[in-house]
Amino acid sequence: MVAHSPRRPRSRARRRAIAALRMLAALVLAGGIYALVSPNAQANAPGQLSAAAQEGRALYETSCISCHANNGQGVEGRGPSLIGVGSAAVEFQVETGRMPAAAQGAQLERKPPQFNSDEARQLGQYIQELGGGPEIAFQGEQAPKGDIAHGGELFRVNCSSCHAFSAAGGALSSGKFAPSLEPSTDRQLYAAMLTGPQNMPVFGDNQMSPQDKYDVIAYVQNLKSDTDPGGWGLGRFGPVTEGVAIFLFGMVLLAFAALWIAGKS
Amino acid sequence: MSTGTGTGTGNGTGPTRFEVVRQGAREHDDVEIVHYEPQYPPGSKAEKRMTRIVSLMFMLSGLTAILFVLAYVWWPFTDWPSVDGWQYQPGNTASKGFTPILGLMLGLSLGFLGLGILTWGKKLLPHEIALQDRHDGGSDPAERALTGTTLQFIGEELGLARRPLLKVALAAPAAGLGAAALVVPVGMLIKDPHHPDVFFHTGWDPAANGGKKVRLVREDGVTAIRPEDISVGGQITAFPGIPEGNRNKHADSPVLLIRLRQDDAARLRENIKAYPTNAKFEKHPMVGDLVAYSKICTHAGCPASLYEQETNRLLCPCHQSQFLITDNAKPIFGPATQRLPMLPLELDEEGFLAAQGDFAVPVGPAFWEKPSERRDA
Repeated sequence: MVAHSPRRPRSRARRRAIAALRMLAALVLAGGIYALVSPNAQANAPGQLSAAAQEGRALYETSCISCHANNGQGVEGRGPSLIGVGSAAVEFQVETGRMPAAAQGAQLERKPPQFNSDEARQLGQYIQELGGGPEIAFQGEQAPKGDIAHGGELFRVNCSSCHAFSAAGGALSSGKFAPSLEPSTDRQLYAAMLTGPQNMPVFGDNQMSPQDKYDVIAYVQNLKSDTDPGGWGLGRFGPVTEGVAIFLFGMVLLAFAALWIAGKS
Repeated sequence: MSTGTGTGTGNGTGPTRFEVVRQGAREHDDVEIVHYEPQYPPGSKAEKRMTRIVSLMFMLSGLTAILFVLAYVWWPFTDWPSVDGWQYQPGNTASKGFTPILGLMLGLSLGFLGLGILTWGKKLLPHEIALQDRHDGGSDPAERALTGTTLQFIGEELGLARRPLLKVALAAPAAGLGAAALVVPVGMLIKDPHHPDVFFHTGWDPAANGGKKVRLVREDGVTAIRPEDISVGGQITAFPGIPEGNRNKHADSPVLLIRLRQDDAARLRENIKAYPTNAKFEKHPMVGDLVAYSKICTHAGCPASLYEQETNRLLCPCHQSQFLITDNAKPIFGPATQRLPMLPLELDEEGFLAAQGDFAVPVGPAFWEKPSERRDA
C-alpha cells in the first residue's frame, strides 16, 4: 500500500511507528542469530538436542559429568572443557576405552571400553551439538577406499617417526609412548589424525584432506593385514633385530644344550 | 682278553688289535687303559634295539634333508610364475612359509644327525677308563739346545752380515710401508675432502636460489604451505622449495614446522628475546604461532621429529635426546648438547611461508669448526 501511494511527507506518528517496527525486527534478527551461533544458548536449551544427543546427554550425566562438569564446561585440574572438541575426539576417547579415565596419569592407555560404539557416537553427538568441532567425515565402520601407495608416503613422512614403520608404536619421553596401531579401527585412525589425542600432533583437514586420511588408513590396514613369515615379526624391525634375537636366544639355547650333553656323559 | 669285545684279529696266533692298541698307548703315550667294557653284550637284543634307534635317527635326518631340497625347489616363495609381473600379496599366503619350512627342515636334519651320533657314542660304544701321567717341568735340555742352534743356523744362512746390499734394500720397503701407514692418518688432519662451505649452507640459502627467498614446501617438493594449513598442535615436515629440495642432495635442509598453542607461542617469543642466536634475525623468526626447527638432531643426525604436542618436546628416536620447543629447542635430556637450529620464517607477498634466509648456525651434529652459537651473537 505504502509503495503505491504518491510520495508525501510522512506524519511524525507514522515515522515513529515504522522506527519501532524496524527496531523490533532488528532485535528479533539479532536474537535469532545469537541463538543459532551461541553454544551456550543451545546448551541451555536441551529441548533443541537431537534424539541421539539426548541419549548421549543421559550417558554424559551419569559417567562424564564429575570431571567435565555440567554441559561440558570442564573442571579446573580434573577434566578439560569439551566445548569445541567435536564428536571425533569423543568417539576416539570413549571407543578406545581411554575415557572414562581410571586415574590421572602421564598417558591414558587403551583399555576395554565402557560404552559400545553406538553409545560412544551418542556421546559424540551430544558434545558436537554442545559446542561443535571436528567430526569424522564418513558414516559406517569402513573408511572410503584410499590409495595405499600414497598413504604409505604420507605415513612415512608424518606418522612413522613415532608409530614406527611397522605401525607397532614406539617410546616417547618420560614413560609415555606412541601406541601400536594394531587394534585401531578405520574410525579411530581417522579421529586420531583429525583431533591429535594426548601428545599426538593434530593433522587438520587443511594439512591432510579427508582423502589423504583415507589413503593413510588404507595403508595402515593393508600393513596390518599382512602376516609375518615364521609367525613372530619381532616388531618388524628387520634383520638386525632378528640377528640379535637368534644370537641371544639361539646361542644361549645351544650353549645350554652343549652343557646338558656334556653333563650327561 | 677277558673283555671279549670282538676287536681282535680272531685267528688266535698273534696279539689282538685291542692288545696292540693298549700296548702302544702304554709305551708311547704313557696312557694306561684300566677299564674297557661294552655296554650291551654283543649280539644281544638290547644292542640290536639301540642300533635300530640310531639308524632311525639317521634315516629321519636324511628324510628331512630331502624335504629341505624339495621345499627349496617346489615351495611357492612368490606368486611365480605370474603373468603381469610379480606383486607382493599381503596376508597369510603359502609363500610366507618358505623360509620357516627351509629352516625347520634343515634344523631337524642336523638335529637328528647330531642326536644319532650322540646316541651311537653314548649307548653303543664300550665304556673306557684310561689314565695318563701328567708331565711337569720344561723340555729336555738337549732338545732346547738343539732348537736354539737351529735358529742361529737359519740366521747365519740368511747372510745379512755378509750381504750389506740386502740390508740396505730391505730398508726401502720398511721406509715406504711406514710412510704409507702414516700418510693416511696425518693426511686426514690436513686434507678436507669437502668444500669448506658445505656444512654452513643448506637449501634455504637465498644465494643458491638466485637471491630469491626460498619457500617452504611439502614432501612432494612443490606444494607451498600457508600458515592456516597447520592446526594448533599440528606439525608438518617442510622442505626447501628449490629443484631437488626434497631429495638427498638437500638432506640436511628439512625442518619441522609447528603451530604452538597461543600461550606456548608467547612463552617461546619471550625466550627468543633471551637467546641472541635466534633474536638477531632480520625479522622475528616466527610467523604467528608457527615456528620451524631443523629436523636433523644435533647429536648424530637422526630426524628429531617426534613431536609431543602437550609437553612441547621434540624427541629423537635414535638416542632419546629431547628438545624443548618453547625454549629455542634447548636439549633437556639425552646425549645432544646443542640446540636444534631455528629456521627464520616470513610470509611472502602471496601469503605462503618462506625462509628469511639460512639457519644462523650449521645444522646437524658437531664437527671440528662448528660454532654452537651464531658468531655475531
